[in-house]
Amino acid sequence: MNAARRPAMASFGFAGFVPLIACFVMVILMMLPLGTGAANIAMPNLVLIGVFYWLSSRPILMPYGACAVLGFFLDLWLDVPMGLNMVLLLLTRLFVLNQLKHYKGRSRLVHWVIFAVLSFGLYLLSWLLISLVYGTMLPPEPLALQWVITAFSYAPVGFVLGRLRRVAM
Amino acid sequence: MLVAIALLTFEWVGSGVPHQIRAYANDVVAPVLRVLEQPIRAVQAGLERIAGVSDIYLENETLRDENDRLRQWREAAMQLSRENERLRGMLKVPGREVPPAATTRVIGVGGGAFERSVLIGAGSADDVKRGSPVVDETGVVGRVIQVGRWTSRVLLLTDINSRVPVRLERTGDLAIAEGQNESLLRLRFLPQGVQVKEGDRLLTSGHGGAFPPDLPVARVVDVVDDFVLLEPLGLLGKLDYVRVMAYEPVPEEATQPEAPGEGN
Repeated sequence: MNAARRPAMASFGFAGFVPLIACFVMVILMMLPLGTGAANIAMPNLVLIGVFYWLSSRPILMPYGACAVLGFFLDLWLDVPMGLNMVLLLLTRLFVLNQLKHYKGRSRLVHWVIFAVLSFGLYLLSWLLISLVYGTMLPPEPLALQWVITAFSYAPVGFVLGRLRRVAM
Repeated sequence: MLVAIALLTFEWVGSGVPHQIRAYANDVVAPVLRVLEQPIRAVQAGLERIAGVSDIYLENETLRDENDRLRQWREAAMQLSRENERLRGMLKVPGREVPPAATTRVIGVGGGAFERSVLIGAGSADDVKRGSPVVDETGVVGRVIQVGRWTSRVLLLTDINSRVPVRLERTGDLAIAEGQNESLLRLRFLPQGVQVKEGDRLLTSGHGGAFPPDLPVARVVDVVDDFVLLEPLGLLGKLDYVRVMAYEPVPEEATQPEAPGEGN
């Protein structure tokens, strides 16, 4: 009975928590004043990349709870409207779980294209949600720029996460 | 998902997570950020050093010239300062110097694509207060919006919610420097007929009580009809050390007229 209540991640030992820990490190990295200290537009959404990567490769290790917790801390620490990243990461999981059967085992390029399309939709949604929260239509350009940077960053970040997966799991 | 939507709804109706909870959450992550930023700063400094080696001779010459000029300016400034002090003393004008509450480093950024804010390594333990102006060596950077125990969040001038009352240095006309979530600010509410030129500087006017007067804010970079774009003088793109000023913003109730019957 107890075993049934334990999260699936725990049954893999430490390796089961690697995706969550890696994504948590990415939350911290997103807060660092890298490059252009003040203009954080240039920072790709590493957590979105990380969550998509782990969901596409080991979905059992990135449950809804983990996505929600990551989104919660991202919202809290980045000082964006609470719930925004939670919604985006939970929708990412919903999307991947429904569509993974269509692209599982396909080339990395296919994964990259799917991520680019998914993240476009998510950024569009976040633009609408933030505009709703602020009560004014915000200019879409900063978000479009961040989407381009995030989409292009998928390949190198995915490569690093792939290495980590081989080493730690 | 329901929790996320509920949180978003709270934000929408304006009763989101209180500033204080966010501020203390920043305190929790600050030690990690401080440790992680050390190697990053070291690498950035190393790269800047490598990039600067080739220009070192030219830079040396420029610095010598600038040093000579600055010495002359220093003498003139000291003379004017003495004269100013003497005249202020004679006229019984109170001093306008604002002491720093804390000098600290930028340890984190935030806001994603739609907010321009940074996290600094000083909080209520260093006498930082909500609303305190923040400057760097070249001009105004922004103001404190959240204060934790050891960290604070600074809303930058470029944020869409930032509005700073300013004065055109050349003419003395008042206006508002408004953030646009882009690198440039927009000058608004300038009186009709005022001729703005590229290169004009804008200083804080002191109106509204949020900023002390005469702090350098921005420079005019583009004028198209009534559309005036400003470049912040603070180095917002590469902030490192900043100074939080111990300036007491005027409380909102103090700026509102008294209700009838409430006065003495």
